[in-house]
Amino acid sequence: MAGERPGARAGGGRSASPRRLEEWSAGYAPLPGVADEFVAPDGAVRPHWRKFMAGLARIEPDEMAQRFAAADRRIREMGISYRVHGETNERSWPLERLPLVISSDDWRDISAGIEQRARLNEALLADVYGPGRLVSEGALPAAAVAGSPDYLASMGGVKPPGGRYLRFFAADVGRGPDGRWWVLGDRAQAPSGAGYALENRLVVSGALPQLYRDMNAERLAPFFRDFRAGLTQAAERSSPRICLLTPGPYSQTYFEQAYLARYLGFLLVEGDDLVVREGKVFVRTIAGLKRADVIWRRVDADWCDPLELNAASRIGVPGLMEAVRTGAVAIANMPGAGLLESRALLGFAPALCQRLLGERLLLPNTATWWCGQPDERRHVIDRLDDMVIAGAFGETLPGSRDRRSILGSDLDPQQRAAMVKTLEMRGMDYVGQEVVRLSTMPVWRNGKLEPRPFVLRVYAAATPDGWRVMPGGFCRVSDAADARAISMGGGVSSADVWIAGDRPADMSTLLPARESVRVVRLLGNLPSRAADNLFWLGRYLERAEATCRIVRCLCARAVDLDAPGSGARAAVEKLQRLLVAWGAAPAEATDAQPGEIAAVALAGTEHYGSAASISSMARRSASVIRERLSQDVGRLVSALEETLSRPIANPGSELEAIERAEAALRTIAALSGLVNENVNRVAGWSFLDMGRRVERALNTCRFARTFGDRDATTENLDVLLDLIDSQITYRSRYVVGAALAAVRDMALLDPYNPRSVGFQVARIDEHLASLPALRPDGMLEPPRRLSIDLNAALSTQDAENLDQSQILALEQRVGGLADAISARYFLQGGAGRAEKPTGFA
Amino acid sequence: MIYEIRHITTYKYDSPVAAAACSLRLLPRSDDGQQTLDSGLEITPRPADACERRDFFGNRVTAVRIDTPHRELRIAALSRVSVRRPSTPAPGLTPAWEAIRAAAPAVRSLESTSPAHFLFPSRQVALHAPATEWAAASFAHGRPILEAASDLMARINGDFRYQKEATEVSTTVPEAFAARKGVCQDFAHVMISALRGLGLPAAYVSGYIRTQPPPGKARLVGADASHAWVSVWCGPEFGWLGLDPTNNQHVGDDHIVVASGRDYADVSPIDGVFVGSGAHQLNVSVDVRPEGE
Repeated sequence: MAGERPGARAGGGRSASPRRLEEWSAGYAPLPGVADEFVAPDGAVRPHWRKFMAGLARIEPDEMAQRFAAADRRIREMGISYRVHGETNERSWPLERLPLVISSDDWRDISAGIEQRARLNEALLADVYGPGRLVSEGALPAAAVAGSPDYLASMGGVKPPGGRYLRFFAADVGRGPDGRWWVLGDRAQAPSGAGYALENRLVVSGALPQLYRDMNAERLAPFFRDFRAGLTQAAERSSPRICLLTPGPYSQTYFEQAYLARYLGFLLVEGDDLVVREGKVFVRTIAGLKRADVIWRRVDADWCDPLELNAASRIGVPGLMEAVRTGAVAIANMPGAGLLESRALLGFAPALCQRLLGERLLLPNTATWWCGQPDERRHVIDRLDDMVIAGAFGETLPGSRDRRSILGSDLDPQQRAAMVKTLEMRGMDYVGQEVVRLSTMPVWRNGKLEPRPFVLRVYAAATPDGWRVMPGGFCRVSDAADARAISMGGGVSSADVWIAGDRPADMSTLLPARESVRVVRLLGNLPSRAADNLFWLGRYLERAEATCRIVRCLCARAVDLDAPGSGARAAVEKLQRLLVAWGAAPAEATDAQPGEIAAVALAGTEHYGSAASISSMARRSASVIRERLSQDVGRLVSALEETLSRPIANPGSELEAIERAEAALRTIAALSGLVNENVNRVAGWSFLDMGRRVERALNTCRFARTFGDRDATTENLDVLLDLIDSQITYRSRYVVGAALAAVRDMALLDPYNPRSVGFQVARIDEHLASLPALRPDGMLEPPRRLSIDLNAALSTQDAENLDQSQILALEQRVGGLADAISARYFLQGGAGRAEKPTGFA
Repeated sequence: MIYEIRHITTYKYDSPVAAAACSLRLLPRSDDGQQTLDSGLEITPRPADACERRDFFGNRVTAVRIDTPHRELRIAALSRVSVRRPSTPAPGLTPAWEAIRAAAPAVRSLESTSPAHFLFPSRQVALHAPATEWAAASFAHGRPILEAASDLMARINGDFRYQKEATEVSTTVPEAFAARKGVCQDFAHVMISALRGLGLPAAYVSGYIRTQPPPGKARLVGADASHAWVSVWCGPEFGWLGLDPTNNQHVGDDHIVVASGRDYADVSPIDGVFVGSGAHQLNVSVDVRPEGE
């Protein structure tokens, strides 16, 4: 970090830095009538930004470019990603190079305001779902509550387990033209972004460590520690099992959810992982059902329970609401808390704050008039030109497909008359809001600073000592000069948020300059779904490897097809048929040239059995358990898919196919090494390894049946040795050429050959012996019975006397063992389907 | 009038179902106009767990868990209900519909009968501008609410064709409105959507209608099946009044209420989660017998 110190490099940092600062901010022009974070209304750079920029200017340009490049690399390496709604592939995270720096004075106001708002919202929920005085006494219209699709009437009268409706709350804030901070909206359903904020902090503080220290920016870790303590306290048991309920890998913010689960030491679960029995919630694990005490849900309430709420939900837990009602599980936030997000409520906040807390609302929110009341409706209609019309409850404007709002001044006379008529007919669906223009912050563009509008999301967590506000936040920056609503998507990036401190932040964490990650060992029992995915990841990797080997074998022999007496042609035909039977090539391909078939079997995505397709499946399995795999493993799995799915430049070229297959085999070998060396030797590894071994045993049986039958030629036996990667071992043991009994023994029985079926079964048997057993009587469970049996059979066989049908029977027994493992450890019989099967006449 | 009702639902599965969890809304509620004298469920295979609760709207929900593998599930609901409803008020005496529209959002209650719950789009009833515009013809300025709503009911009954196979449980309001045909569920959903579009509270009611026609009257559509109709809020004085667009009549002593809610999704007689794969065949039989006949 020497480069940050003045004069450490040639070029004379001390004299150059003021000039640099000058260059950066020359031409920085905030929009007229809009507040700006960098420049105060009087045109001077605000003091905390001056300090930040001076520190930044001390870094030499080369050094800065290197650090920014390192930050970009770090984002890629950490795999930070998000998904735009409706897209299947995740996008890499767009992060601003500079943080948003907020002065400690500003932060005191924001933080006090958010803390108050969290208390206000808790009190509001407690009344609406409790005694209902606000409504019965006329302080809050019933329709302003009932109109929210997130209002859950069925939660009325239910005491929230642990005593709170809200445990994690967020509000979007921005600075208005008057210089004050305003609340733009509340987030209470399942606020997202806090995990990304944490990631942003890791990357940016890592890129600018000295500056981070000098600015005394407050640390984030204590906030998360306290949030965790709050959840722990909500449970009935003293060391509760806390689950983060995710909608699954197709959720927009799955990366963040997996990251937070790992960071906080929570169990990441999907709906299928949980089950309700006798009113209590359990996690399905490989060691049976384990009690879930607390659920931090990232699933919207409506999707939480197909039995009671949205029957179309495939991501919920049947019976969860009943468990919440009986108090058997604490859930954050309580289902029904989402009603706080309604714009309709914004207009009532000042009066409700006075009434519920006896306090003045500290942070104003956007001035809002709910048109379900006659006076407010008249006000909005009278001042339509100064208003934004938006939906009172949902994201979009009622009656429009995707519009969020309409500016009154944009309406022509005809549209205006229609709008007035609509407001009179169903005013309760709309609010009028004053037009908000967001303040701007400096961003780094092409070596200069430019102003861009932003929204800051601030988080509050319920802790054992009351509400605590996260010192920082999730900042979204729009690339459009004028923006009112900013959500992650095209043209939006995020920024780290630093609260500039007057004093060094939190002495105890001062030494390690960066935000440090708390050490968490893999906790608890392995959920069945994770075990299932690990097992299949193993199987897919092994299958991809086998396909590559077949292709390599095929192409190597195709080069010398008609050498006299070699029998190469017959072997090539068998290999081609194998690829077809495998689902890697179309049936009509058996007549094609080996090179062409090889290209399809490797890179063709239209066949489910091609190496490319199999590697995609491996990547998908890995992506849903990424919190259990190291980043290196994830990266190699992605690299494998990339290698295999790149189109073959010259289809028909055997040489290119061989090169491609070998590149993929090298990646797979690297993966195997990594997995064996770096994956914790806990249950997860057993399933990954068993998956590989089951698949290898099955494939080897198949190869032995195809190339090792009674009248197999030398050439066929040679192919078999290639496919099971045992040429070298064979040559070291036998001086003679390939002989049937010896090759078969090596492929099927040899307990010392790590590629033989016997070796695989022995390893599977060891894994099964080490896994938890459910039977209290000590009797063997079905998978272990099968593995012991099979192990014994293989140890006592004689290779010479095996016939085809015996090898087939062996293959079937391995298949039976795989089925028994599935039935015992993974979800039984698939997940439940929710249905509303009857209709009315 | 006292009715004996047998409502039997049978599922036959192509492959065995390992377990099932169901919410049943098959037992009639008691309210101002009817009293459930006796009711019970017979379920085979025997549930591992069954308990009854009231949902938010006051409907009786039985949560059932079955963990014996089965190929056939039979749910029989048997009940005896005594019905005596107050007679429908003279439509001309009810308040002007605009007064109802103004009063509904102002009601200071979130209880289950509050009109606030029935003003907004719900899971299966979206607001649909064409349906609302079509309905508006019945709502002349100042027209009494019950008169206007009854006119709308009569128009639906006249313009829409009752056709059993035309729609499914999941048919939406725009689909049913465009087709101008369907079953009682569609008629009720269209009417509710139109009323809410005008700012008027409307609820969905499920139940039965008597099987045997009284002497001299025509046989009623929807007999021998479950039935559904609409309830309209007519102001604090008159409360909720039932209108049956399928039969173009006000709800009286021929109707037996099982459950009510915002739309079909709130009152669906059987919601379930089944563990198993494969298709099923469904058979429903309903028998409504006035006692002594």
